[in-house]
Amino acid sequence: MDHDNTDKPAPATPGVSRRGFITSVGTGAIGVAAAASLVSAAPPETQADVVAAGGMSSVSLVVNGRRHTMLVEPRWSLLYVLRDRLGLTGTKIGCERGECGACTVLIDGKARYACMTLAVEADGRDITTIEGLMTGEELGTTQQAFADEDAFQCGYCTPGQVMAAESLLRVNPSPTLDEIRQGMAGNLCRCGAYAHIFKAVAKAADLKRQGR
Amino acid sequence: MLQTFAYVRAGSLNDAVKQLDGPGARVHAGGTDLLGCLRDDVMSAEKVVSISRLDDLRGITPAADGGLRIGALTTIADLAAHPGIAEKYAALAQAAAVVASPQLRNQGTIGGNLCQRPRCWYFRGDYHCTRKGGDMCYAIGGENQYHAIFGGGACWIVHPSDTAPALVALDAKLRLISAKGARMVPAEKFFVLPDENAQKENVLAPGELVTEILLPPMPAGMKSAYRKVRARGSWDFAMAGMALTLTMKADKVADARIVLSGVAPIPWRLQAVEKLIIGQKLDAKLMTKAADLAVVGAKPLEQNAYKVAMVRGIVAEGLEKLL
Amino acid sequence: MKPEDLYFWDGPLPETQAPTSTPEPWTETKVVGKPVTRVDAYDRVSGSAIYPSDVILPDMLHAAILSCPHAHAMVKKVDTSAAAKTPGVRAILVDGQVGANVPWYGGRSGFASRLFDPHCRYEGDEVAVVAADTIYQAWDAVRAIKVEYDVLPRVTTVAEAMKPTAPAVRDGGNVPQAPPPYSRGDVDAAFKTADVVLEHTFTTPCELHNPMELFGCVVKWDGPRLTVWESTQGVYAVQSTVARALNLPLANVRVIGHYMGGGFGAKLDTGKYSIMAALLAKKTGRPVRLFVSREEACRSMGNRPANTITLKAAAKKDGTLVALQSRVVGSGGAYSEGGTGGVDFVIRELYACPNVKCENQSAYVNAGPQRAFRAPGHPQGAWALEGMMDALAAKLGMDPVDLRLKNIALVSQSRNGNPPYSTTGFADCLREGAKTFGWADARRKPQAPAHIKRGVGVAGGMWQGGSGGPPATVIVKLFADGSANLNMGAADIGCGTKTWGAQIVSEELGVPLDRISIEHADTGTTQFATPSGGSKTAPTESPAIHAAAFDVKQQLMGMAAEQLKLPAADLELRGGEVVSKTDPAKKVALGQIQAFGRRGLLVGIGYRGMNPAGKAVNPFAVHFAEVEVNTRTGEVKVVRFLAAHDSGRILNLKTFQNQVFGGITMGIGFGLTEDRVMDDKQLGKVLSANLHDYKLPTALDAPADKTVVVVDLHDTFSSTGAKGVGEPATIPTAPAIANAVCHAIGVRLTDAPMSRARVLRALAAQKPAPASQKRGE
Repeated sequence: MDHDNTDKPAPATPGVSRRGFITSVGTGAIGVAAAASLVSAAPPETQADVVAAGGMSSVSLVVNGRRHTMLVEPRWSLLYVLRDRLGLTGTKIGCERGECGACTVLIDGKARYACMTLAVEADGRDITTIEGLMTGEELGTTQQAFADEDAFQCGYCTPGQVMAAESLLRVNPSPTLDEIRQGMAGNLCRCGAYAHIFKAVAKAADLKRQGR
Repeated sequence: MLQTFAYVRAGSLNDAVKQLDGPGARVHAGGTDLLGCLRDDVMSAEKVVSISRLDDLRGITPAADGGLRIGALTTIADLAAHPGIAEKYAALAQAAAVVASPQLRNQGTIGGNLCQRPRCWYFRGDYHCTRKGGDMCYAIGGENQYHAIFGGGACWIVHPSDTAPALVALDAKLRLISAKGARMVPAEKFFVLPDENAQKENVLAPGELVTEILLPPMPAGMKSAYRKVRARGSWDFAMAGMALTLTMKADKVADARIVLSGVAPIPWRLQAVEKLIIGQKLDAKLMTKAADLAVVGAKPLEQNAYKVAMVRGIVAEGLEKLL
Repeated sequence: MKPEDLYFWDGPLPETQAPTSTPEPWTETKVVGKPVTRVDAYDRVSGSAIYPSDVILPDMLHAAILSCPHAHAMVKKVDTSAAAKTPGVRAILVDGQVGANVPWYGGRSGFASRLFDPHCRYEGDEVAVVAADTIYQAWDAVRAIKVEYDVLPRVTTVAEAMKPTAPAVRDGGNVPQAPPPYSRGDVDAAFKTADVVLEHTFTTPCELHNPMELFGCVVKWDGPRLTVWESTQGVYAVQSTVARALNLPLANVRVIGHYMGGGFGAKLDTGKYSIMAALLAKKTGRPVRLFVSREEACRSMGNRPANTITLKAAAKKDGTLVALQSRVVGSGGAYSEGGTGGVDFVIRELYACPNVKCENQSAYVNAGPQRAFRAPGHPQGAWALEGMMDALAAKLGMDPVDLRLKNIALVSQSRNGNPPYSTTGFADCLREGAKTFGWADARRKPQAPAHIKRGVGVAGGMWQGGSGGPPATVIVKLFADGSANLNMGAADIGCGTKTWGAQIVSEELGVPLDRISIEHADTGTTQFATPSGGSKTAPTESPAIHAAAFDVKQQLMGMAAEQLKLPAADLELRGGEVVSKTDPAKKVALGQIQAFGRRGLLVGIGYRGMNPAGKAVNPFAVHFAEVEVNTRTGEVKVVRFLAAHDSGRILNLKTFQNQVFGGITMGIGFGLTEDRVMDDKQLGKVLSANLHDYKLPTALDAPADKTVVVVDLHDTFSSTGAKGVGEPATIPTAPAIANAVCHAIGVRLTDAPMSRARVLRALAAQKPAPASQKRGE
């Protein structure tokens, strides 16, 4: 596996790092600018190469601004690759069938379920995970709003909720309450923190409009 | 977790139909239904043929006759957000807006939405039912609260698509391409009843693909809507739903199309109800008559008789609202 | 009900030594009770919190379970030869192999089986487990295992199971001996002389917990020592079960459960996966990760039993209750007798009623075993009782809130000696909730003529636990630089335990929250706590934390007193300084207390003492709902909701409100959408084995307009006065909605969930509403 080393080092933070135990590859040291969307050039008109069953295919995934080129089995989901191959465990496993939203990531800026996306299908795409909303160790705006509004209980669905909110706000920066509920309708919260989640999305919209 | 399969990214439409010509070859458009079917072992996939990079199949453009061409790879989200569709083909925009969840709408395609397999829990479960080549429909004597009240027989699935009834109501045509060539099929003729063939939901031949949907220009003053009733506010498929188009001339109905979702193995067009109201003034009395006529011939199973009342309610409410 | 049952503990409860000193309850507080942001908010929203399912260890293997696809079958033969050859497979375990003969389902559940019992009694019973290099390879191998089953006759409904001709789920028949009925007074006599007698049969669905994080663990051996990272509500319970199953000393089993993605009772039990993972890890010499799939979670990880409740109630003309009689039937599945536990508590206890009789009958069926699910039995009991109270109110022509206010109990009627409640805010919840909700006006508002009808409803509830109690031990350390450490065994399952724990330390010692570190839920490093569930964590741990912090404060005061040459009783801790109350000029900053500086740190220990004898401590709740019913389609929309709660002192208002809203959401699932569907008439398999077919409430099903009213009667049963809230938050929700639906459409639905089908059927069967139910009067 080959990681592109073009990202800048993380800005120095005063005091002790807040993260103590096992950290995943790629968190906290993310490059600043997201790479432009890279769509693989279409192969020529005739036969494309068939990856035989059991074989592997080379893909290039731009995750949180950093390009990873690697071999994947065609059946591997993007969720599996993010967690088990890249160590980005912020994106969670809930159902592996597109019915809960815990694995929500952004693909080319749009909320999608990583479990329903084959890694080969994400080839060349611009992928943002929860880790990618951080700036060094500082929370992103949407994350901060979720913390302020107590928009979680057990916290397991939270990364997916934040990513869905992020996707919504990028398309609709001033959503009504109804639009917020519609935008968050693809993320289950068994703890039932929905009421606070709606508040957090509204707060995030506010903070973003203020440029924070 | 998924079983292993061969994978090829088709470089062109020709390449795709060639690759798909053979047993065990499955098309991957958005992938939202394919992955679910593979996880549930509804069918096996020896080779997955991805058409997701065929950008020519994506997008909404004006058609020569003043209508609209929709590439089959257009996502449901793009469909729902398109101003031209919301303005002139509201039923389709409204149907797209209530499909699944926001994330699945970002991924799923209109072609995939039309071709998706049914959600019957016997079909998706560890049951070798008629539709999968077995000799029994487990819904008939089992848990059938979500199954069909029209068009059942050898099998009692309901077609899960919301966009399909809208396209039937809007008189859409589908362009199908195979290694043998192209053909146009009206949306209304695309779907297959179980008693004709209980193992397929539509007329696609093996190795054939939907490539685009053609919407005719809409008559001036035509209004349309899509209503979906489901168990929860998101994700769920229709328990019953209705695509409705209404063209008024003065205070009389000049034209109407009424197509139900969630109640039959195919989008269920209510031609008798259309005939009843066309040429008439749509007063409360006629609306009630229309609602009653909508359910004539319904054959509920043990647990889904509520769909009869529900359809009646949806038709009455829909006519009232759209008028 | 034995204390062990409320504590979800197998065997007698460990004792804690009695506290040496007990701090006085707070009067005014600076930190406790405030809407403070969670201390671990950063970890959770950043994605950096490592949940057990996120643990990645070097060389880790991934495991998957093969489970029986039949509702009832005997395993005749297991052929793993093809599976063993699939790529990446490192180990396969089946019945009969070394270490695999671990007894299971004993203890509280009372049914003897084992890890891979060849007698499979429900679809999902485990047959084998595989460990492989990747999770994909593990499932490939599972699919390659060939099993020969003898498929046996099955029965999956209680009604069928109770027939004498039913297939036997287990030896001894399907119908265990019913426990003796609960009885007080003379219900038969009371029914004969009452002014009004009503009888209804209510049914409630089988519900699945379906927490968002799946069930499982990661395990690693270091020589003879085993570490288990598990998604659990109780690390000590897992430690105890695993040590016993593997014949290990407790000291050699460490269970870590820092973060966990929800449990709701399903993770109070230890799962077979923990034992399987440990055996696989031992066999392969590598760490093993075993988390079940969502489908397996729907089949095998527990459920709330479905219940049929026949309830007969009688009252006087003026609304005084005179008799309540219930018969509850249900099943705990194939391996548990607990099909009816907890259902009749509210019937026996919530309202003052002199004559009560409660009977319970369980039956075994070929279905997954029950597990405690948020307020076991209580939502079912409340569904029946609160529907009945509403029906009585209608019959008597009384307002439903007034009828409930007429029958307030000040003592616990079903406990020995009828102890009075330490506090009961039930009446206050009714009154204040009704006022804030605008109940009277909403109730009298004339109905709209259109097909969308609006209605409001009320329901009450209480939880049998919520008082907490020993055992619990907490350690608080104060460092010479003024920062602190809180060490407790309790898990934070989403309820904000770490946060209010830190708030208590901050309140006592003045340490800012961001200078308090927390160790918790780790048998290797923290002090004992029973599993976090049953709404007992706050009432149990908060006084122990208070006591531990107080212990530190006492020591600090002692040192400051010596240094200042003043009596300790004259001193108080204020803003990082110890100050004389009588002469504030005499003071010393914490950092200047020489003895403290030399020591480097102070250690305080807090033990949870007993609750006061002769008092019953319970939390109460009243829920108000406003609904819109589309009478054409059967759709029910919850438009507005208010929850009034007496949970004693609220430790953190923000997290408290969140939890109540969460309970309401879960109650909406119970009342409107959730139902485990099984193919009862054919193969007995679970049809709702995923998150589409099992319908959890979504963001669009939870009302946007929700209010919490806090009733705090300053209970002094403990030094913090905090009662539990997790369970009360979901007990009266569904019946409040049902009562609102009845107000809207004039028909009472007695079967939960109130699906579109049931609403439409009820409307179709409707007779014109009697005069007493007409609106606007």
